Amino acid sequence: MLRAALGSSSYCGQGSDIFAIRKYTKFEKARIIGARALQISMGAPVLIEVPKHLTSSIDIATYEFEKGVCPITVIRELSRED
Amino acid sequence: MHWIVTLRDTVRVPPDRFGEPLERVVADILRKTYEGVVDKDLGIVVAIVDVKEIGIGRIIMGDGASYHDVVFDALTYRPELNEVVLGEVVEIVNFGGFVRLGPLDALVHISQVMDDYVSYDDKKGVLSGKESKRSLKEGDKVRARIVSVSMKRDSRGKIGLTMRQPGLGKLEWLKEEGGKGGKS
Repeated sequence: MLRAALGSSSYCGQGSDIFAIRKYTKFEKARIIGARALQISMGAPVLIEVPKHLTSSIDIATYEFEKGVCPITVIRELSRED
Repeated sequence: MHWIVTLRDTVRVPPDRFGEPLERVVADILRKTYEGVVDKDLGIVVAIVDVKEIGIGRIIMGDGASYHDVVFDALTYRPELNEVVLGEVVEIVNFGGFVRLGPLDALVHISQVMDDYVSYDDKKGVLSGKESKRSLKEGDKVRARIVSVSMKRDSRGKIGLTMRQPGLGKLEWLKEEGGKGGKS
């Protein structure tokens, strides 16, 4: 499940089940960049200054992701027995 | 009667509004979707009063928008059976009169206006009783009892009233009756 942190006010829910992930799998990376590119194409504001030669929304989303400003995280649903 | 109801729903925030403060966007979207809506249980939603909780945004496959679970307070008006209401006559038609009860209009059928034979005057737009010489016209303030309620979604809601009971009717009639009937 993807989580979006929006604008200045990002909500972190109850917090305990959500934690920062240091390294994403290639599947998560693809999902995040895909979702972010779609948002940018739908008119979401871009969060950092982007070099002029990046024109496609996928390129902009990838750039954001690499700079670490992409406002999307992943909720990993762990299998647990309780 | 008016109620403050706490509701829970999921709100879709479109990407082009990500730049604005989330609270404002959510309140805005809730107002657009809920205000004026007629529902069987809620009655008519008059206003969104307060947004209490906004959950984390979740992004669903195929849509760039974020979905938030929100809890909010809405002010609603729900007419209840046998409730006695005050209102103003806003229109007289050949089958009765429409009474404004705040956010909704209700109908007093011509047979329910008073304990008399009531006829409709097309030219003056007045309902008048044959023997009592009482009349009802646009702008009159009345007290009435709700006798039927039908609140279906996507309709304006139908409410039936009666004024054929002691203490009900145009406020001037009640004054005339004084101690006999109801006090005004």
